[in-house]
Amino acid sequence: MPKHYRPAGKKKEGNAARYMTRSQALKHLQVNLNLFRRLCIVKGIFPREPKKKVKGNHHTYYHVKDIAFLMHEPLLEKFREIKTYQKKVKKAKSKKNEELARLLLTRQPTYKLDRLIRERYPTFIDALRDLDDCLTMVHLFAVLPASDRENLEVKRVHNCRRLTHEWQAYISRCHALRKVFVSVKGIYYQAELEGQKITWLTPHAIQQVFTNDVDFGVLLTFLEFYETLLAFINFKLYHSLNVKYPPILDSRLEALAADLYALSRYIDASSRGMAVEPKVDASSSSQSNDREESELRLAQLQHQLPSSEPGALMHLVADNNKEVEEDEETRVCKSLFKDLKFFLSREVPRESLLFVLPAFGGMVSWEGEGAPFKEDDESITHHIIDKPSAGHVYLSRVYVQPQWIYDCVNARIILPTEKYLVGSRIPPPHLSPFVDNEAEGYVPDYAETIKRLQAAARNEVLPLPGVGKEDLEDPQNLLYAGVMSRAEEAEAAKNKKKMAAQEKQYHEELKMEITASKDVVAPVVTEDEESVPDAMQIAQENADMSTVLMSRKKRKLYEAMKIGQKKKKASVELIEQRKKKLNDAQS
Amino acid sequence: MTKKKKGANEDKIIETKSKTVSGKSQKQKKPVEIEESLKEEDLLQESGTDSDYDGDSLPESLDSDDFDSDFFDSEYDGTQEGTEDGDVEFSEDDVLGNLLEHEGSIDNVDDEESEQVESDNGEEDGSDEGSERDEAVEESDSSEDEVPSRNTVGDVPLEWYKDEKHIGYDITGKKITKKEKQDKLDSFLATMDDSKNWRKIYDEYNDEEVELTKEECNLMRRILKGEAPHADFDPYAPYVDWFKWDDSIHPLSSAPEPKRRFIPSKWEAKKVLKLVRAIRKGLIKFDKPEEEPNVYLLWGDDSTSDQKSKHLTYIPPPKLKLPGHDESYNPSLEYIPTEEEKASYELMYEEDRPKFIPKRFTSLRSIPAYENALKESFERCLDLYLCPRVRKKRINIDPESLKPKLPSRKDLRPYPNSCYLEYKGHTGAVTTISTDSSGEWIASGSTDGSVRMWEVETGRCLKVWQFDEAIMCVAWNPLSRLPVLAVAMGRDLFFLNTELGTDEEQEITKERLHSGNIPEPEASVAAIVTWLPDELYGGIKIRHFKSISSIDWHRKGDYLSTVMASGETRGVVLHQLSKQKTQRLPFKIRGLPVCTLFHPSLSYFFVATRKDVRVYNLLKPGEATKKLETGLREISSMAIHPGGDNLIVGSKEGKMCWFDMDLSSKPYKTLKNHPKDITNVAVHRSYPLFASCSEDSTAYVFHGMVYNDLNQNPLIVPLEILRGHSSKGGVLDCKFHPRQPWLFTAGADSIIKLYCH
Repeated sequence: MPKHYRPAGKKKEGNAARYMTRSQALKHLQVNLNLFRRLCIVKGIFPREPKKKVKGNHHTYYHVKDIAFLMHEPLLEKFREIKTYQKKVKKAKSKKNEELARLLLTRQPTYKLDRLIRERYPTFIDALRDLDDCLTMVHLFAVLPASDRENLEVKRVHNCRRLTHEWQAYISRCHALRKVFVSVKGIYYQAELEGQKITWLTPHAIQQVFTNDVDFGVLLTFLEFYETLLAFINFKLYHSLNVKYPPILDSRLEALAADLYALSRYIDASSRGMAVEPKVDASSSSQSNDREESELRLAQLQHQLPSSEPGALMHLVADNNKEVEEDEETRVCKSLFKDLKFFLSREVPRESLLFVLPAFGGMVSWEGEGAPFKEDDESITHHIIDKPSAGHVYLSRVYVQPQWIYDCVNARIILPTEKYLVGSRIPPPHLSPFVDNEAEGYVPDYAETIKRLQAAARNEVLPLPGVGKEDLEDPQNLLYAGVMSRAEEAEAAKNKKKMAAQEKQYHEELKMEITASKDVVAPVVTEDEESVPDAMQIAQENADMSTVLMSRKKRKLYEAMKIGQKKKKASVELIEQRKKKLNDAQS
Repeated sequence: MTKKKKGANEDKIIETKSKTVSGKSQKQKKPVEIEESLKEEDLLQESGTDSDYDGDSLPESLDSDDFDSDFFDSEYDGTQEGTEDGDVEFSEDDVLGNLLEHEGSIDNVDDEESEQVESDNGEEDGSDEGSERDEAVEESDSSEDEVPSRNTVGDVPLEWYKDEKHIGYDITGKKITKKEKQDKLDSFLATMDDSKNWRKIYDEYNDEEVELTKEECNLMRRILKGEAPHADFDPYAPYVDWFKWDDSIHPLSSAPEPKRRFIPSKWEAKKVLKLVRAIRKGLIKFDKPEEEPNVYLLWGDDSTSDQKSKHLTYIPPPKLKLPGHDESYNPSLEYIPTEEEKASYELMYEEDRPKFIPKRFTSLRSIPAYENALKESFERCLDLYLCPRVRKKRINIDPESLKPKLPSRKDLRPYPNSCYLEYKGHTGAVTTISTDSSGEWIASGSTDGSVRMWEVETGRCLKVWQFDEAIMCVAWNPLSRLPVLAVAMGRDLFFLNTELGTDEEQEITKERLHSGNIPEPEASVAAIVTWLPDELYGGIKIRHFKSISSIDWHRKGDYLSTVMASGETRGVVLHQLSKQKTQRLPFKIRGLPVCTLFHPSLSYFFVATRKDVRVYNLLKPGEATKKLETGLREISSMAIHPGGDNLIVGSKEGKMCWFDMDLSSKPYKTLKNHPKDITNVAVHRSYPLFASCSEDSTAYVFHGMVYNDLNQNPLIVPLEILRGHSSKGGVLDCKFHPRQPWLFTAGADSIIKLYCH
């Protein structure tokens, strides 16, 4: 703590004692800014906002306890040790003592972050809650080119790739994926693990560019932490499946860059292998030589097993005896693409679809070596293609654009493929599954369509008054309606009745409201003969009159909220206006 | 062949002339030097002088110096380069064949020179001659510096000659013209035809092509490899110890061998011992430390996590906003802005510009890489470790719920809500009105200088008094038996007899307003006011030293206070009508007085200055008993609740303060209701109503209920906004009817309005 003169017996107190500026903190910790930054990133320390900023507004303030927390961090000492060690190496090098330098370099002090992860995330759920940024970052670095200039090694990029594949393999295996959204920035995925919604963004698999306005030091420090975190999380997840981690992959598939497929096969094989002989798991925690042996066996096992068995993936989908407690949603997700076989054309984003399709219970293959089944397989139902036209057309399958899969996933039903057929213009708009259309105030047309299709799939008719005609027009809906069984019909009727009752009630309430408002407005209108008879304005101002009595704070808040509402309304209006123009132009 | 070398050569030549050159360097320079001297001689000969002899005598002495070194050199060289010389000489001749061609003339000169020199130095013997030859050989072999270049321009940038026809001057000073440039095609064909073409190098300086020989190429290759240039040179030749020890009698050093050469080192032994010990103790390990697994089950069981951490609460970072429909790669068409809208974004400030402009791609494969991916990731990182995190409560409520719950207005009736009557007759803005205590009459004053008395029920104008000046204030005497109207305009205050009431009352009134026996004013107020009889309407008029801004009657109708806004400390005076005398306040007033009020039941006196209100006790002169801090910028008016505990203050910033004087000296409630200045406030005498009027030409009516129970705070409910006056000038005054819940408003549009329930 910097010492100021203070009268004897008088302690520093309040915000001055509780917060210190960053430069004070640096002095206190005796580190440079660079090291401080790394510590903060790794420890998850962030500045705090004191109520009163003692040193002025332009400083960042850290809580004294946070700094004390850093002060007692063993990593700080370790960093210092590394620094002095590097001095030794440098000295040896500059004295041309290559031998010593080499020797020193082999025994460099290293540090680990596992303790910090445990400290920051005491429970697994905590870690899952903060996983969004971690996943986004690791996925981004998995597609970056290694660069000498930015100190980004090939090894790290590969590690990122591996981690992301492991994560995706798990999510896909557990059918935890919930939503997918292809945006301009990349593909957003949302998974649900242990009740936590985890959203991450993967860039499109195209060469990324380095920009100059980015400090790679910061990014790499974050990445270092995130890599460790994700590795531990993957371990935990694989452990829960009784699969050994880190996985040993089929080198053949790995070489073909089909890591994800290799991983899923590995999980599948080893989780079943484990089930057969649970001894392996026990032995891994026992003596080291024993473990080595079992590892070897395991590696052999999974090298032979999946490659000799063509339908490993099917087993992956089929074996559901293990998951006892599955919630409703997982079951829906799992069976969405059940009994469908997909084949991916060369130009479709393979990695994404290889991840998404199995996650929803589909079987996938692709063009190239190591694929589970070939293109000429008769049982393929859907061929995903992103070209203007398909070359050789098999009549037994449907040729669709990849967006169809994402839309199906978000809608949780198999959408009609007519609009997504290859060569049939641009597919219908791809809508974000993260938007609550009602809250937003604007529902795009296609969302409306999807909603109706969903309702049809659930065998109930939407109680919207305007929908009736359209329902008749839509052949798909008719088809679905025809399929309805009697019992379901009865249920639907009941639903309808309920809805009707609700509607009635609503109308009644509306009426009452209208009459009530009349009561309020009426006297003003009737009696105001001499004054300006602008009833609407007066009514509104009378409504505003109670704002006079609000405290200033509340009034400001009220005004701010009103402004926010107005903005939202304006944006919706803008969209509606554009739509109107478009419609006019079409007709 | 660089210019530098040449320059050096010339220097050397000069040096030789001054005889300060020794040995080798001189040897190298010789040919040129001789040539030079030759020229000199020629010149001298031409000029026909006889300095020939002197010129010769100089080199003579020089040569005698030279002689030994030359001799030695030649011998030395001969031994060392014995085999080399010939070879190199041969190769050089071959290799630099064409390079040397142009040297021919110089060589010739050389030969001549050497002859010359020989003839000059007749004493020199054959060995010397041999050495001369060797020198020549050496010159050609030692380096190509010796091949004088064709061009003599020196070390100047060649671009100086870029636009010239020549590239420089030869040794005779003639221009060397440039060769014609081969065009690309020709040169290409040449390369195709001639297999040796790759060895050709264009010498820019001399503007000629040099063809390297095979040997030269090899030489270069060797240099590039870092080997010795000559193939035959053996860098690892066995060492020949020229110093023969065998036959020598004396050793080089006669010192005896030291002892340390014979005993084992103590320090080494110590070091070894140390290492041995370290190994035994296990400090030095030879095998690599066993690698621990990098990952393991970190969250084995979460049962231990119950323990509270001692650190500050962790605030998880806010999650990123999830993308909406517009970020889709294929959004609905209505999300894509039109071209005009995109153009309009350019005109916006950078902060206001939308960060993301929706785009549409026809297929998944046509989506390009997102250029800001790294940047956004980086910004997120910065946010994570640089931004202070604060837990903020997001209020997700309907804004309407923020409004206070108020009782229904229906239950608070009666209150004035609609215009019932208009009193027209004034020609200027009506600045002031006042109601008679009975409620039958109102009086109004206007800027046109007229005071009018109206019958409330019918709107009939009963009486008009006309003055010269704009009327500032009118005020009815609160006593019903004394129907006197106080009218203030400019510096004068008039007491007018309204001639209402019974005859008895009239008599009393006339007696009061009798101006016959005005007593002598006290000395203290003589400078401030003078009581005068009013000739015009037969009353009394009081002339003040400053113009009057407001007046207020005491409840007993005898005393009247007037405020002169610019009167400073003498700004407030009290007039007593019955004794027709004036007195100053028994206390000092701080600040500029705006208006004053008598307490409705007690002997308190309220003085409003610009920022606050002070309460004085008239019976106990001295300091103010209370100071009410309004927090307003400029007070314009005030009114007191008939109970006497609540005060309403209106300000020029459109705010109104309700003071509960039992509660605190701070406002109980501050209402911001008017966008413009409040001109006046009024409280009803019997109904729980109060009102404010403002320059925005509206008047607000409030319900202001004061409870007898001291624990219950007053209830304030806004009831009605009264409009009707034209927007020019606003409403200048408002007064409640003393009995009915009616409100009179005086507008700048010269109309008085009566609002009824």
